[in-house]
Amino acid sequence: MTRYRQLSFILAGFLLLVVAREGWAGPPTDQLKTSIDKVIQILEDPALKVDGRVKERRTAVRKVANDIFDFAETARRSLARHWQGRTDREREEFVQLFSDLLERSYISKIELYGGEKMQYGREQLDGDYAMVSSKILTKQGQEVPVDYRMLRRGDRWLVYDVVIEGVSLISNYRTQFNKIIQTSSYGELVKKMRTKQEEFLEEEAKSKGTAKN
Amino acid sequence: MRRSALDLGVGIFVIIGILALSWLSVKLGRVEFLGGHGYQVTADFPSVGGLKPGSTVEIAGVEIGRVESISLADYQARVHMWIRSDVKLQEDSIASIKTKGLIGEKYVRINPGGSDRLIPPNGRIREVEAPVDFEELLSKYIFGKV
Repeated sequence: MTRYRQLSFILAGFLLLVVAREGWAGPPTDQLKTSIDKVIQILEDPALKVDGRVKERRTAVRKVANDIFDFAETARRSLARHWQGRTDREREEFVQLFSDLLERSYISKIELYGGEKMQYGREQLDGDYAMVSSKILTKQGQEVPVDYRMLRRGDRWLVYDVVIEGVSLISNYRTQFNKIIQTSSYGELVKKMRTKQEEFLEEEAKSKGTAKN
Repeated sequence: MRRSALDLGVGIFVIIGILALSWLSVKLGRVEFLGGHGYQVTADFPSVGGLKPGSTVEIAGVEIGRVESISLADYQARVHMWIRSDVKLQEDSIASIKTKGLIGEKYVRINPGGSDRLIPPNGRIREVEAPVDFEELLSKYIFGKV
């Protein structure tokens, strides 16, 4: 009898430990994981994989992305010093153009998802900032380290920077924007971004037209 | 009389030599007297890969400070840097470890941010980028294609 009791105590202790361990991942990791799982679910949904529903799928992914990403913060940090001289309207326009740019560059890549596994690592908290380390395990067995930098907004944690293989998204765009603004002007940068977006929309419309024919 | 003039000449010559040597060593060793006017900031990197105390800290290729020391904190590399007092770093500045040329020495490059808040003395640069490890990339390239 006492032996059983001892055993159950050990088991309970072990279970508690396991639960506590799982619970260690704080709210930033939890919220990030929920969003990424949602995106994977959308991408793996066979009903949305049909050719005609690409747009629907993109909208669904973008909706989840809007919930976890703080595009305004990413845009502000990418524009860096040049953000301060902008009027509210210019800022709004820039955030819109910048999120279009990110969508253009990354959503098409996300669609290539083929069952890669995500592995969440440690989480570092520092006041209203957090960094969640993760790894993407490809089918070839490669590991790609991806770190998410997050910011607390009320009770939500929002991603503002993604660091892939040690290369920060904000740092990349900050350097590019700075170069364009310094060699030409802010107006030129906005014009460039706008034409790129228009070209993209045109191309998309065209490819849709050919797909239908 | 003549002898002492020669002695004096040699003495002066030696003193000039010593002064020149000490000037050279201060210049080459980049010793800063009076502690240097500046403030200290730290940054935690996953790896510093070849950065050393004395390495430069630059913005747009201009030296604005130096790496003072590097220590290990929570299995990460904590880099302590001296920054010139006339250079203010915004709270969202990004510190990255870069290489001069393809195989040159390592230095810290700071990409200035746009935040209103500045990093105070003894503050921390939160946004960092680790150096790109060429060997790792190479091995990924070599072994990656299964």
